[in-house]
Amino acid sequence: MLGKTGRITNPEPAGKILVWDLPTRLFHWSLVLATSSAAITGFLAPEWWLNIHVWSGYIIIALVVFRIIWGFAGSPCSRFASFLFSPAQTISHLRSLLNRKPGHFTGHNPAGAIMIFALLAILAAIGISGLVTLGGQENQGPFAGFTSFAAGHTARELHEILATTLLFMIAGHLIGVFIESCLLRENLVRSMFTGMKTAYGNPKDLASHPQSSILAAIIVIILLLAGATTIWALGRIPASGIIAMPANSTYSSECGDCHSAFHPSLLPAASWRQIMTSLDDHFGEDASLDQQTASKIASFLDHYSAEHWDTEAANNLRHISAQNPLIITASPYWQHRHSNISDDVFKQKNVGSKSNCDACHADAQTGLFADQMIKIAPVQINQKP
Amino acid sequence: MKIYQYLLAPALLVVISSAAFASSPRSQIVDFYRQQAGEDFSAERGKQLFSTRHDGGKPETPSCTTCHTSSPKNTGKTRVGKPIAPMAVSRNADRYTDLKKVEKWFRRNCRSVLGRECSPREKGDFLTFMINQ
Repeated sequence: MLGKTGRITNPEPAGKILVWDLPTRLFHWSLVLATSSAAITGFLAPEWWLNIHVWSGYIIIALVVFRIIWGFAGSPCSRFASFLFSPAQTISHLRSLLNRKPGHFTGHNPAGAIMIFALLAILAAIGISGLVTLGGQENQGPFAGFTSFAAGHTARELHEILATTLLFMIAGHLIGVFIESCLLRENLVRSMFTGMKTAYGNPKDLASHPQSSILAAIIVIILLLAGATTIWALGRIPASGIIAMPANSTYSSECGDCHSAFHPSLLPAASWRQIMTSLDDHFGEDASLDQQTASKIASFLDHYSAEHWDTEAANNLRHISAQNPLIITASPYWQHRHSNISDDVFKQKNVGSKSNCDACHADAQTGLFADQMIKIAPVQINQKP
Repeated sequence: MKIYQYLLAPALLVVISSAAFASSPRSQIVDFYRQQAGEDFSAERGKQLFSTRHDGGKPETPSCTTCHTSSPKNTGKTRVGKPIAPMAVSRNADRYTDLKKVEKWFRRNCRSVLGRECSPREKGDFLTFMINQ
């Protein structure tokens, strides 16, 4: 415990009391689960786990909102006021750690306190940057209606940097808990399960009575309902960067006879023009069309080429391959995103070739190529030639 | 016997006979080529055209069978793996009923496989073969 001068005074242990109230403990372990789920789906799982990642994020944001309210309304050791320390107090505590004689604190010590505030702040920032990423890069979520791909890209970089930083902070948090547990000879992990922890000084001051549970519960419920409603309402705004494209039966039947009728946003206008003026030698085949049909298709492609969309696919695929400017699958982005998929997957009967986007992208015809819509065609065994 | 039965029989006769003798869109297309070719077509020559390896056009497509398989009754496959409905009329009744479409594919595929346009006789032979299949 810290004296009024900021000096560390070390009161004697006064027995175990309930330090962490139930809502704080439930918050802590829910946050552990939600963060683990977000981290695993974000860092390791394939793209189509995006929904679980996003929902983990929403849960984390809700938990952070709860914790902020509880920081004012909870029991003494859960309240922010109980672990706001001055820089001098913090330095003094860190010194005491170096001497392996840490000061005695019933609730959070100054080092732990910094970590709590930092974790809450970074989790909020990760959540918000994640939603901006979702809106800009995937044209999904509450921000899709007004977030450009470029903004989403910046948010994604920030999201990744913050998420990586969070991993280090979690490691720091665990090391801190371990060191304090060793130095104080008290299992702090168990305390976070039972809530019971050694009290120092006068336990009566710290008796675990939440300030105003009912008020806090009402505020949290109102905030979460308001937040969910806002997210739902924003989500109904049509995604920016997606233009209305009427179905074109000439395009889909003429081009779709031989290969999937690729969404026009998958190539820039210059590439489409070149394709439409060289149909008599179309990748080694004569695909010539009568003048009227050809010009109909050409103007459709020109109208809806990559330049006109602000989707992930259009933004990335407009950077064409220098050697093969007409081949979507030759573009650096396409190559990069499909580098993990073996040739066997493309060659098998239910796919046919790399140009069959629809085989794995259920929404290929929309040009959106959402992460959740990816389903890698299963490799078929014993297929007939 | 009621009076309508006397009327029904000749009416049915008219319907059946007109269906049998009216020239179908498919036979109109064959007639179109016959007028141009000025001779009768042979399913046997059509079969040869279909099965021969020509090597005259683009290297990717040396013969019809490259994409349509060795039998017109089979489902074929485009070079990117998309299925092609069978060519044989017995397997695909929609075949060769739209002259514009027939002309488009003869133009494209004769150039791709033979490196030239097909003659009206070749087209007629080919269609005769496919109609008999």
